[in-house]
Formats: sequence, structure tokens, C-alpha cells
Amino acid sequence: MKNKNLFLKTRLLLMILSLMVLGVSFSAEGAIDGVISSSNHFTLTAKSGYIDTPEGGHLFTWGYALNNANMQYPGPTLLLKQNDVVTVTLKNELTVPVSIVFPGQPDVAATGGVPGLLTMEAPPGGTVDYMFTASQPGTYTYYSGTMPELQVEMGLVGAIIVRPSTNPSTQAYNHASSAYDREFLYLLTEMDPEIHRKVSEGRMNEVDTTTFFPVNWFINGRSLPDTLLEAPSLLLPSQPYNIVPRMRVGERVLVRMIGGGRDFHPLHLHGNHHKVIARDARLLESTPGTSGADLAEMLFSTTVASGQTTDAIFTWTGENLGWDLYGHSFADPLVSNETFAETTLLSSLSSNAFSTSLTVADASGFPATSSFRAIVWSGTFPGTTREIVRLKRSFGNTFTITGRGLEMIPLTQGNVEASNWPSGSRIAYTDHGRPVPVKLPDQLDLTNGMFWSGSPFLGTAGPLPPGEGGFNPNSGFFFMWHSHSEKELTNNNVFPGGLASMMIVEHPDPLIAPFADNPNITVVP
Amino acid sequence: MKMRYRYLILAISLLLFMTNAAIAAVNVQCPGVPDRKCVHLSSGDGFVQMADGTVLFIFGFSDVTNVINPQAVLSVGELAATFSAPTIEVSEGDQFYLTLTNVGMKMRPDLFDPHTVHFHGFPNASTIFDGEPMASIAINQGASLTYYYNIVEPGTYLYHCHVEATEHMQMGMLGNLYVHPSQNGKSINGFTKFVYNDGDGSTGYDVEFPLQVGSFDPRFHIANLEIEPLPFAGMKDTYPMFNGRGYPDTVNPGVLPSPLIAENNFKPSQPISSLITATKGQRILLRISSVSTVDFHTVTVLGIPMKVVGKDARMLRGPAPDYRDLSYYTNSLQLGGGETADVILDTTGISPGTYFVYTTNLEHLSNNEEDFGGMMTEIIIN
Ligand SMILES: [Cu+2]
Ligand SMILES: [Cu+2]
Repeated sequence: MKNKNLFLKTRLLLMILSLMVLGVSFSAEGAIDGVISSSNHFTLTAKSGYIDTPEGGHLFTWGYALNNANMQYPGPTLLLKQNDVVTVTLKNELTVPVSIVFPGQPDVAATGGVPGLLTMEAPPGGTVDYMFTASQPGTYTYYSGTMPELQVEMGLVGAIIVRPSTNPSTQAYNHASSAYDREFLYLLTEMDPEIHRKVSEGRMNEVDTTTFFPVNWFINGRSLPDTLLEAPSLLLPSQPYNIVPRMRVGERVLVRMIGGGRDFHPLHLHGNHHKVIARDARLLESTPGTSGADLAEMLFSTTVASGQTTDAIFTWTGENLGWDLYGHSFADPLVSNETFAETTLLSSLSSNAFSTSLTVADASGFPATSSFRAIVWSGTFPGTTREIVRLKRSFGNTFTITGRGLEMIPLTQGNVEASNWPSGSRIAYTDHGRPVPVKLPDQLDLTNGMFWSGSPFLGTAGPLPPGEGGFNPNSGFFFMWHSHSEKELTNNNVFPGGLASMMIVEHPDPLIAPFADNPNITVVP
Repeated sequence: MKMRYRYLILAISLLLFMTNAAIAAVNVQCPGVPDRKCVHLSSGDGFVQMADGTVLFIFGFSDVTNVINPQAVLSVGELAATFSAPTIEVSEGDQFYLTLTNVGMKMRPDLFDPHTVHFHGFPNASTIFDGEPMASIAINQGASLTYYYNIVEPGTYLYHCHVEATEHMQMGMLGNLYVHPSQNGKSINGFTKFVYNDGDGSTGYDVEFPLQVGSFDPRFHIANLEIEPLPFAGMKDTYPMFNGRGYPDTVNPGVLPSPLIAENNFKPSQPISSLITATKGQRILLRISSVSTVDFHTVTVLGIPMKVVGKDARMLRGPAPDYRDLSYYTNSLQLGGGETADVILDTTGISPGTYFVYTTNLEHLSNNEEDFGGMMTEIIIN
């Protein structure tokens, strides 16, 4: 029903309006926010506070604060470099003992405090120092090792990223198979407000974590639509991180996923498959240290298990849509991001002949098994003649022609002229010039989403009825990245919400879609 | 008691709906292009019967591809929803035209919900055909939207409506979508059917069966029919199913008889059997997908090793240049909602007899209160 979309819109609009009043522009730009310490010494203070959930919830929470700042949920994301010798000082301002464990970090030395079950604990008012060497790059988590079944639920959890010594700003690990253009964090958690209410009322002895029944779900401490708001936001003082992944066509996006709570979540990425390259901060490789991620898996949903971390590379090219993503006419010049492979004919193709095969110089990059559409031309594209053919690879550098002329039927734009193609002509695997193969319904028969540009083409806006669309300034493609346990798309009984974010694929031309990654990094001494 | 209220709403909303319907029309697009494949689905409501006899209200899809007069779809598609939704099978290289006609909810005339098809897992998707309503378009009642997909990646996918995702998916708008590889028809190692373009016959099979993991929360379906607030937060599925049925209905080899309820004119609505049959020595392909909106499920086959050859519509091989074999043998496969896997059961050396497939989430071996049944089916090796 439209009123639910309206709920989202109203909340976002209110937020944006208040941001404008405060002089902050709406730019939910990302990368991974966090904290860097020039001396590798972080001080985290366990304290209480409140977080806000979109349906109006106000949950009493315990969290790790940076120094004496607000309690925050999740705790500060610690941005480390491989081989950093790190000290984390935990100060406890809670009324219960608290601690930190660092899963995946070997030889953590804890000094001060009192012995707890898993590690040294800071008693109320006390302090503990944890020291470790971040010997291996990757995605990690940290959380309370003291009554974790309660304290993690209460909010004492955070992320650690260890950058590799090789290309630390463009690789996740010390191997080129982990190279990326942009990176985003997905720390997934859930909460049962009953537990928080009882703790806030001091009814600790009534808290029963075995009857845990979460009804709020979070990415980086926020639920949809708050996931999409500015980071940090003055409206969410205890939830400094957002999640709005953004990329340009063809870029590699590193998605660092962490199961931060106790439930598993099937994280489904719309738009394309993602390549899982690492789990628990180790590349999926057959020969550690040398082979690269040769055991990587392509998935469309990743099970984000509690306590586990997963790194995946997502990319999106628009390849093989079957129509021109940019809405070009056939006579427009070819641009680099719309041809997926290009080579030279080594055999000739006579006018309208259905010759059985076509040999090219280099078929790498052309589909190996499926039939595909290609353009043949000679001289400079578009030239005076060019032709669309449908091909299928028979073997190596040889293609079989499966369609000639026929393929032109849905072509209504530009001139198409079949011709005589001598050896040496160019051939490209592309959807250039092909219109959307179907006619779209009358606007009155459609319900338009708030992030819908009104046009099927990337970077192009189309007409929309008043009040529909409007939240897609560059006419990008928005893809929902969300929990496919669809129950988790709610905020305490209110749909929509929960464990969901919108990833934006923007036009490859920065003039059409200007944006930058501006991670919000706090540097402490 | 609630029925009278519903008819009152029906009267009012019919008036409103008529003004909308004036511009809407059923419109099937299936142009004469090479390698085309066309399917026409209607979306609406209907009923299913659980294995303990309980009849539940659902939202769903119905296959109306063969309805000759398109305008008749608005009545043919009425209360025709099936669960699972009609299985869509296409082949690599197909240009796939999928028309969705929204026939409205007969039992909920107060709802004007649009619907969509989300081709779950389609590589390099566009937003216009992605079906996620915040970023796309959805089709209103009485009208049609034709989706276009250039089918290039074989594998086991699923499709579902993405509008009001929690509600429409819990209500049953969930189906299988299989893409056959171009390697099919070639003879490799004695096989002519394959899950993927493996080049070596490693994903070859003789017989294939769907195994769609799903479950319903009856309280949610009842609240929906009775126009009561929907229990999102309390959602807890107690009817675990394979292919839209609980055991022993899963092993009924045919279409399940229609739910015993007059409203839907006794239309059968649970067409997909889960009875798996093979001759000793054959390779069985199980296309397993989870459409659960609440739980993870682990599935086991008792007595036959499971070889997982595909996950999420990709062959289990590593990336280029080595394409390492990542397939593995197991006897437990865990899937969350929106995950799929291709499992091959080689019955060479397996004695003829009956074998059980079931979830090891043992509380899901039940049909609600009935402590028997649920997510279980049988394999018969002859
Ligand atoms: Cu729907
Ligand atoms: Cu989905």
C-alpha cells in the first residue's frame, strides 16, 4: 500500500528538511567510517545511552564510546594497519563488569582489571588494557566477553578493519585478487526491546536471554530508513554510522560483512552476484599467501553467521541486459563502458549471408556459452554502415551466426544496414543502440518507487506523477541490499524497515553523477 | 462477523476501483524475435490447504500463458493463486518476456496493492525489471507489465513479488525459476542434461526435482483474511513445507485436490509434488531453494550422499584461470531465505527402496499443532 511508502518518504523528508535547516547537505556518502590512532592506542569507554529506531523506539543501550564521547552503537570501527601493535584501553562507566574480546587476533595480552571467564574484565569504574599485534589483514569484530549473551545484545559490539601492508588503500588482503575501488561495512545485529526495557528499569534479575525474541534489526547500528541518512547525523547522536554503498558502473565494491548479533541473516544483494573472497579474515585460497582467492564463490545471498566475517567483491557492468543501458541511439558513438569486448574479424562476411562461422582475432571477453549480440562495422564507428548480428561461440575464436537481419525487428532507433564485411572489420559485444524490448505501461497503471528515476536508462530522468520518485538526484540504479529473512524488514512490527539498505549504481561519467567517498574518520593521538 | 464488513468494503472499493480500471487493460507483449520465450502470470489471491486440513488464505501467482483472450485473464486469474507459484523454466540464450497481470485480491477488495516480479539473482539486473518497489515500478490492479530478461546465466533461481516484501512473501508470492544451460543436448559422459556448462559432465543428471523450502505462519494468513493488523513482529512459521505442502501431502504424486472452500470455486492450488522417483543408477538433481521469510533450514537426505555442485545459480567452481572444483559431498545443506543450491544424488550402489528427505530443524517436522509431518518427503529408488 502506498501509505507505507509514504511513511518512509515522510521520515526521510523530515530528516532532509531538518538537515537543510541546519545547513547540512543531503549526501549520504560512504566508505567506511571509523577511528585511526596515530600511536595505535585507543581508549574505549563502556557507558549507557539510548539509540533511536525509525518506528519511534528509544532503546536503552550499552556501548563502547570513543574516549569520553557519547555511547555509540556499534562501537567505533577501529581502522588498523597490518603489524600495528595496538593497545585498547577499556574504561568502565557501567554498573556491571565489562570486557572486550578480539576474535581472530592471536596472543591478546590483557592487563589490569579482574579475571573474568574469557578475559580480564574492567569492574565498574575500573580499567583494562588489551594489547595485540594486528598480524593479519582483514575484517574482524570485537565485543564484550563478559556475559556476552546479554552485553552484546545491549550494544557492546564493534568492527575492526586491518589493512594489508601491500596496497593498504586499494586491497583488502596482500593479494591483487582482493583489489577494490570502494568499500562498505555491513555489521548486522538485532535487538529484543524487552531486554533493554528490563535493564533500563534495573530489573536485571528478570532478564532472561533464553527467551530472546528480536523485533529490531540493524546494519551498522541503524534500521531502514535511518540506514540511508547522513553519517554522522545530529538526529541520531548515538548511531554515527550509516550504510549507503555507491559505485560507478564497472567498479569493484568490497563488502565487509559481520555477523554481530546472535542470529544468522541471509544478506541478499540485488543487482548482481558477489564474489566471496574471504571468511574470518582469511582469503579463500588454496595456497595461503600465494594463490589469491582461487577458492572464491559467486553468490547472490551470503549467510552472515553470528561471529563470522565475510568479504565479498561486488561489481556491476550492465553487461547482457539485452538493451542499451544508456538509451543511446544506434547512430551515437560507442562509449567505452558499453562494449564488453571488441576485436577484429579475421574472416569476411558477405552481404546477408548466413555463413556458418566467423573467426575473430581475440574472443576473450565474449560470452563462452550463451548467444549474444554484437555490432560489426568498418572504419570509425558509427561510419556509414554497421550491422547487428547475433552470435554464439562455437569454439576458441570462432563464432556461429545465429541471427542476421532478424535481430533488427525490435530496432526502431537509428539506421541499420546489413553490408559486406571484409576481414579486418571491427566487431564488439554490446547492447549499443538497442531499445528496451518492451513497451512500458501507461504511467497511471504504475506505482513508482521513491528511488525510481522514471527512466529505464542510467543517468536519465523520466517524467513521473507529482509526489512519486524524487529521491534519486543522478538517476542512478538503486538496488536493495537486505536480509532475505523478510521478517527482518520491519521495525518493531512496522513495515518497511529493518535490515535493509539501498546500493546505488551511478552513471560512469562523474559529470553526470558527481559523488565522492568521504569517510568520516576520527584521528586520535 | 468479519464477512459483512468485507462486503461493505467490497462495495465501496469497487466504486473506487472502477475509476482506475478505465485506463487499465491486460496487455501481453510477446514479440516475434529469435529465441523468444513468453510467460504470462496473473497475481492475486487464493487458498491452500495444509497437511492437517487447515485452509489458509494466500497471495500468489497463477500461470495464464495459455489463456487465449487476454481480457479473460482478469477473471481466470481470480482466486487462482498457487503455492508454490508456477515454476518458470527458460534456457540460456532465451529472450524472456514475462508478463504480469495484476487481477486484484478477490477476498481483500479493500487492498489496492500493486505487485511485481523480482527475478531473484538475475545477473547485472536493471532496476526497471528488478521489481523492488522503492527503486522501480510496480503494476497496479487491472493492468499488465511485461518484464524482459536476456537469459545468459544457467542455474537455479527463484522469483517473487517484492511489494510489501514481508507481507506478500509470507503470503506466498514465491516461485521457482530455472535456467537450463546451452550445454543441454550434447552428450557428455552419458548425460544429455546438465545443471551448468561444466564441459566435463560433472553436473550431468538423469532426472530433476524441485525442492522449495518454505513455511507459513497461519496467524499471519488468518489476520490478513480477516482484515486485522498483521503480526509482523510475532511472525513465527509453524507450517514448514516442501513445494508448498507438508508431509504426507508432499508425497502425493499429483496435483493436490482443491482446498475444501467454496470461495475459490474448488480450484486446485498446490500443483507441485515432492515425491522423488528414480531408477537405481540414475543421477537425481535436486534444485533446492529457500523462500522462508523467517528461518534458516538444514535439509538432509538419509542414506544417499548429497553432492553440492551449484550454489546461488553458479557452478561450484573457483574463478579463472584455475576454475578449481569447489563441489563437495555432504549430508546437511543449510539455506537461508533467498539462497539456492544444486544437489546431485548418485544412486549407483544405492539399494532400491524408500529414502527420506527432511529438515533437521526437527521442530519443523510438524504441521502446526500436529506433531508429525512438515518439511519432509520421500525418494523412491526402483
Ligand atoms: Cu505482491
Ligand atoms: Cu528475493
